Amino acid sequence: MRFADLISETLHSLTSNKVRSGLTILGIVVGIASVIAMIAIGQGSQASIEQSIQAAGSNLLTVSPSAGGQSGPGARSFGASVQSLTREDAESLAGLALVSGVAPSAQGQAQLVADGTNANVQIVGVTPAYATVSGLTVVSGSFISERDDVANAQVVVLGSTLAVDLFGEAADPVGEHIRSGNMLLTVVGVLEEKGAGLSNADSTAFIPLSTAFRYVTGSQYLSSIVLTVTDEEQMDMAEASVEATLLQRHGISDPDYADFQIQNMADMLETVSSVTGTFTALLAGIAGISLFVGGIGIMNMMLTTVTERTREIGLRKAIGADSSAISAQFLAESITLTLIGGVLGVVAGWGIGFVAANLLGVSAVITIDSVLLAAGVCAFIGVVFGYYPARRAAALSPIDALRYQ
Amino acid sequence: MADIAPAVIDARDLVKVYDGAGAETPALRGVSLTVREGEFAAVMGPSGSGKSTLMHILGCLDTPTQGTYRLAGRNVATLDDHELAQVRRETVGFVFQAFNLLPRSTVMRNVVMPMLYTQVPPGEREARAVAALESVGLESALWTHRSNELSGGQMQRVAIARSLVNNPSLVLADEPTGNLDTATGDAVMELFARLNAEGRTIVLITHEPHIAARTKRVVRIQDGLIVEDAATVGHQDGDA
Repeated sequence: MRFADLISETLHSLTSNKVRSGLTILGIVVGIASVIAMIAIGQGSQASIEQSIQAAGSNLLTVSPSAGGQSGPGARSFGASVQSLTREDAESLAGLALVSGVAPSAQGQAQLVADGTNANVQIVGVTPAYATVSGLTVVSGSFISERDDVANAQVVVLGSTLAVDLFGEAADPVGEHIRSGNMLLTVVGVLEEKGAGLSNADSTAFIPLSTAFRYVTGSQYLSSIVLTVTDEEQMDMAEASVEATLLQRHGISDPDYADFQIQNMADMLETVSSVTGTFTALLAGIAGISLFVGGIGIMNMMLTTVTERTREIGLRKAIGADSSAISAQFLAESITLTLIGGVLGVVAGWGIGFVAANLLGVSAVITIDSVLLAAGVCAFIGVVFGYYPARRAAALSPIDALRYQ
Repeated sequence: MADIAPAVIDARDLVKVYDGAGAETPALRGVSLTVREGEFAAVMGPSGSGKSTLMHILGCLDTPTQGTYRLAGRNVATLDDHELAQVRRETVGFVFQAFNLLPRSTVMRNVVMPMLYTQVPPGEREARAVAALESVGLESALWTHRSNELSGGQMQRVAIARSLVNNPSLVLADEPTGNLDTATGDAVMELFARLNAEGRTIVLITHEPHIAARTKRVVRIQDGLIVEDAATVGHQDGDA
């Protein structure tokens, strides 16, 4: 059989059975599109979660107080109420080789009143280093200064959301006054919007650390020390030296009884990645089932036409087609169907993934792997179940094929 | 007259046993048949007599369990798939009782189809299909119709045209009038008589005596054996 005749017969056969061809293509499109869309959404979500952690800074170590090891891990969650970290601890950490920034902070809740507007917010006592370490930028005024800290100055820097809550959208609150308990705070700066992340700096009020000790927490103890590490690759080493320094300062020899804990952002990123990876695997599992169902659909379409096609094969053999001509024609038909279905499926999957990811607020990530997997499996099923029964029918004697029920 | 012509069909002791289906009754129990060039023969017999089985073996659509079959001098048993396909498209033209056209394809496409598997150059195919369609007397207005839009008689003409298009030395027809009314059947028989007069060897199956009577030779088959093989002379209606 000539190649041109083969193409002509294939196209004629497919177009003269539009419903059959259409349904087969539909099965392939659904199978491929669902897998691609699912994986695109899964990987998009994973990427956006990891991105928000990266934005918070993945070279951070956070030291927080902890109730020592004697009560076991369960007690550690109450660490915030434990008083073990001091300003001196923080200063000693600043001298370590791998540490580039140290931001001690003391945190509390406070009722802020400005012009009769009330807000119950998180108030955090910080040093100037906090802005750099936490990646905060001031849009108006300035951040807490060294001098403010030394002088127990009653000044405040507002997160962007908090500034709007207290003073409205249009106003520049710098220079305004806020009352909180027996403090009268002067607004010296407003922060740039940070967006959703792990911290909620947007709705926090920042005051000098010394001021917080005096008016908010009433003690000289810190609620956390955040450190930046110069080299992200050496987080573990930095963590070890921080731990050693603090154990020594606190006179504790057994790390299991440490009265503080260190959180490594890189570790956290890893944990979150593994969680989102599980989520992606779950979506991939659902996609795999879709692929399976799509595959069954393709198989059914191919197999339900076997009776009719077997008779056609018998007829073609009876009028002089040899087995190879039959095989070539059916292979060409299967390839054409899976090719059309594959292209449409990839396009549809991309489109669905894109639209769905937009609705979910994440960006779709189409990977070549998912495209190859989905298209490959569907093409394989389509070609096998289109070609194999035809090949078997071609091996029958013409009369058996013609009589096939 | 035909005795000096070379044999197209030379079948010896054909036995066909269908496996499975419980009963071990052979469909053919030793059939020998010679048909020479230019003959016009009818195979008659009640249903279940094995006549269709014989026809399928003669047309190389099925293989005998035992016995040898030489078609135009070649032993069919020695041919491979490719050579058998060649025999089916070049030596034999087969006409089915149920026509077996591709329903969604046009008349022209159906008639051209056997040539797709040959070396006939594309430019020549349509001319040969036209010649075949004209020789079976199908009006040209129908040639572009899909075959499932035709009447039974028209479909059988298309099927006959298809069997002729590769210019076979033997035309086999399995109850070609079985699905047609009497008048249409008569017209189809007239067509076969004319094709035979033009020199084609034709063997057909029928169980209708008046159809058999229009051929030159009647082979009666019963329970898988040939019980009578005689030339028809004029009109010997009915009686065995």
